[in-house]
Amino acid sequence: MRSFCERYGKNTPFHAVAKQLFGNRYERVTRSLVLCMILFLAVYASELRVQVSPAVLYLTAAVFSAGIMWRALNSPQNAEIFMGLFMLPFNNREMVISYAAAFGGYTLITKTAVVLALFFAAAQWSAAEIGAAVLMACLGCALSAGSYAAVHMHQEIRESISWKAFRRKAPEPKPGKTDSRKRIDAYVFYQPAASHGKKRYTGRKGWILCYLLRYITSNKNYLVNTAGLWLIAGFLPLMLGQFEGLNTLPMGFAILCMNTPICILLSCDPDLEQAVRLLPGQSVRFCGAYGLFIALVNFTGNSVYLISWQVIHGGIGMAEVLTAAGFAAASAALSVFLEWRHPIRGWKIENDLWHHPRKYIVPVVMLLAGTFIGM
Amino acid sequence: MIGQDQTQKFLKIDDLQAWYTPQKHVLSGFSIELDANEVVGLIGLNGAGKTTFLKTLSGLNKHFQVGTAAWEGQKFSFRDKAFKQARYTVFAEDRSFQYFTFREYISYAAASYGKKLPDLTELIRGFHFEKYTDVLLKELSTGNLKKVYLITAFALRPKLLLLDEPVNGLDFQSTEYLYRLISGYRQFGTVLFSSHILESICLTSDRVLVLEHGRISRCFTGNKIQADTIREVLTDNETAL
Repeated sequence: MRSFCERYGKNTPFHAVAKQLFGNRYERVTRSLVLCMILFLAVYASELRVQVSPAVLYLTAAVFSAGIMWRALNSPQNAEIFMGLFMLPFNNREMVISYAAAFGGYTLITKTAVVLALFFAAAQWSAAEIGAAVLMACLGCALSAGSYAAVHMHQEIRESISWKAFRRKAPEPKPGKTDSRKRIDAYVFYQPAASHGKKRYTGRKGWILCYLLRYITSNKNYLVNTAGLWLIAGFLPLMLGQFEGLNTLPMGFAILCMNTPICILLSCDPDLEQAVRLLPGQSVRFCGAYGLFIALVNFTGNSVYLISWQVIHGGIGMAEVLTAAGFAAASAALSVFLEWRHPIRGWKIENDLWHHPRKYIVPVVMLLAGTFIGM
Repeated sequence: MIGQDQTQKFLKIDDLQAWYTPQKHVLSGFSIELDANEVVGLIGLNGAGKTTFLKTLSGLNKHFQVGTAAWEGQKFSFRDKAFKQARYTVFAEDRSFQYFTFREYISYAAASYGKKLPDLTELIRGFHFEKYTDVLLKELSTGNLKKVYLITAFALRPKLLLLDEPVNGLDFQSTEYLYRLISGYRQFGTVLFSSHILESICLTSDRVLVLEHGRISRCFTGNKIQADTIREVLTDNETAL
């Protein structure tokens, strides 16, 4: 029986996955902890204190960690990044624990810790409450990893049954009755992008708008994020309408431009960035179409917001519609400028892009503009 | 860019330095001259700097310094619009524009170069690519993806064609077709291509340049361009070191 250190130390699957997530010298651990410390001290020193129920702290820790962990595990690039690792011979249980533990550690240290630092600085907590919050965050990660494994194992069992039934030309038996695998197979964490077959497209012109539409509809996470944002747009007037003496309508436009996945197109696809920079005239041709796409997506969200506002508060006219269009165009232009001039480099997994501080630049600028207009 | 160069070389680069980390220069004192309508092969060991040079020339590496860069007698920068419109690069590894089909990609690339697409039938047939023209690039295998960029390169007919390991991933029929295309490209422009396969270079090149220690260390021309001769010289050189 190998010791714990041998199992999870150097030259082990845990080490390999953790290095990929934290950097070769685990530099992201130090960086994240320093960031948490700075945030904590800044909020604590500002003497900003709020009353927060422990239940809210626990729920936030668990749900936030579970969400981040789920997205990190589902990143389409994972299969490519860890292909070499899964090619090597490994102990199944060791690999399952290592993979889940490394992703859990990544979630807790680089993401959850930042949120907890803010909570801990803004309110008074006992040691037991802090411990419980950390425990809830760990539980959220474990739940996500378990759910991820369960979902993919269920899919694999169904595929396996379908294949066997097809081979035997027998009727498809009910899942679960013929295959009762109970152990988690480590390969559930290796999910290469599913091929949709060599579907044929009859288009002859290379429209970037069409390219971007295919890009966003091919990625479930991106679609869910966009749909979620439009859903929020429907409820936003309920929250923003409560402020007195300030026209809060433009602030909603600012919040709705925070559609991260469509604003990291070049950052998350270095090959595309290289190809675009190689071709001549792309600062106009590509960036123009990309900007138009973001503007259209943002304007759709703004339209939902305007309709909802009209139903709840009324008073929407041509000026408000034009303001919505203006905000959509301005936020799109700024997003494309950032992607073109300052793409995010040095990320380890796609999740890093989703939570990069750069994503807040456009909404903050738009929020300042919105506040100025609303005064 | 301004200025007239005395010698009217097609492309002349003197004293190019390129690096990824400032402490370690990949290219150092690198100089190269290309004539119009010639095929030049570039060989070198892994890490010698072939891809770095092609990326730098393609305007994709911002960590470089160059003494002189002249294009058709005029000083130029690698990101000048006129130069970009005169060159196309096929990279060793490329998975860009994954949500375009081949036909959509080549149409987009041609529009970017301001060129009308020629008849592609011959190129598509030559590379045995008929079945894949309307399939998304993300669904293509490595070899078929390479064919997308090679067909685009030869269809666009730029004055300068840069090919980084063009043979990698191709089946033998397509490889032979590619040799014929490279050899026949002299009538349209200049080809500079890197390869580890000496035979591919010897079959097609007018000159073979050897990249060692960040610079061009040798040049083979005429009847010296034979795989055995080059291999022998390179092996002797390595042994001497």
